[in-house]
Amino acid sequence: MTIGVIVVIAVILGIALILVLISIGLYNSIISLRNKVDNAWHQIDVQLRKRYDLIPNLVETVKGYAKHERETLEKVINARNMGIDAKTVKDQAKAENMITSTLKSLFALSENYPNLKADQHFSRLMEQLNGIESNIAYARQFYNDMVMRFNTMIQTFPGNVFARMFHFSERDYFEIEEMEAREPVKVSF
Amino acid sequence: MYEYIAKNRAKTVVIIIGFVVFITIVGFALGYYVDYRYGINSNFSILFMVAALIISIIVSFSSYYYSDRIVLGLTGARPISREENPRVYYMVEGLSIAAGLPVPGIYMIEDSGLNAFATGRNPQHGVVVFTRGLLENLNDEEIKGVISHELSHIKNYDILLGTIIVVLVGMISIISNIILRSFIFGGRRRTGRTAGGGALSIIFLLLGLALLILSPIIATIIRLAISRNREFLADSTGAMISRYPAGLANALRKISQHSDVRTASNATAHLFIANPFGNRAKAAFSNLFNTHPPTEERIRRLERMSLGVGI
Repeated sequence: MTIGVIVVIAVILGIALILVLISIGLYNSIISLRNKVDNAWHQIDVQLRKRYDLIPNLVETVKGYAKHERETLEKVINARNMGIDAKTVKDQAKAENMITSTLKSLFALSENYPNLKADQHFSRLMEQLNGIESNIAYARQFYNDMVMRFNTMIQTFPGNVFARMFHFSERDYFEIEEMEAREPVKVSF
Repeated sequence: MYEYIAKNRAKTVVIIIGFVVFITIVGFALGYYVDYRYGINSNFSILFMVAALIISIIVSFSSYYYSDRIVLGLTGARPISREENPRVYYMVEGLSIAAGLPVPGIYMIEDSGLNAFATGRNPQHGVVVFTRGLLENLNDEEIKGVISHELSHIKNYDILLGTIIVVLVGMISIISNIILRSFIFGGRRRTGRTAGGGALSIIFLLLGLALLILSPIIATIIRLAISRNREFLADSTGAMISRYPAGLANALRKISQHSDVRTASNATAHLFIANPFGNRAKAAFSNLFNTHPPTEERIRRLERMSLGVGI
């Protein structure tokens, strides 16, 4: 072997080593981003569970004042059960949209029952619910930000190569279907 | 973003090393002075230097863990309970979720001025502080803007650097003050008592002058370490969290009119969202400590974001 051959082999090995190191770094950053998405999802889940726990309480309170509104109350309960059973992000989003809209009709209904509106327990529950709903909105914002970063990472080169090799798949956004439930769009980044 | 956090950590390390070096030099100088004055073999300089080195290292480590509490104490902030102000709790919790941060501690300063700051060593130990004036005079959207700005400081680790600077740099200026005074007064008493009195007082006078010069140098260190860009960065990151730059812009407009905080000092001024010397800022010396970019410029940039022009 001449010195030239040795140098060539060394250079090739060096380049290979650098490529391996870059790949490890990239793989790790994809994994850490994926964990961030999971964690963000968990944050949504925490808030959703708080809402699930609140709903039976709320329904019971309303029942005490508005016995004849069985249909609306059942819709709320059904939507809640759908949310608890949901397995995928899409199903969950659908169920949550339903809960939000059925709760809205529940509040609209409470307008007709002055005694219910005056009930302290009811107004406290409402206050809690409002807080939880805004937290859900914030958690959704964070989750969607993370999903966007993750999806961009595995859709662009060289992340897409890894995505194919290690079967990383894109995550679903947590979307709101109703137009009226959307927050006013004031900013575009 | 990650480079920015790394930069903040690196600056913190530099500040700590600078502190240790400074204290060690002071220790050596003191020891040298004792040797000189009492004519004992030159052991004190080494002894004092080693002691100063050990003490400064201990102080640096403990300041990493306790400086947030010192800052809260210095500014007279106290924790507020959920019952006392549920409104601000809801907003801080919600925005922390949006920023992906643990919920920080919520404190308040009893002051009618409008201001706020964040402290702590990392997001797990973050604290946000508001003045009573701010909570009472701003509407929800504006307070959300301020909270988002402070959460950005927590997220960017600006709080670590800012808080460490308060304690270590503050301590240096206190020490140089003490030495300066003891030289001035001590020097006067000794004149005429020893034969070399005249020569000694000249040395003390020179030393005193050197320390007098130190004070503005410390101010410059603060200014160098804390770039004005961090306020712009926190404004834009904050707008990403609240998704409503106009909220912070309106808040800044109100804050800039009444941003005075009585308990703020030169050591803590850089932490606040707006210059806590507000109207006092025109005084000659505070300009040296001016760590805040002009409010008009910040508002202008936020409004450009609102219009979707972006940065």
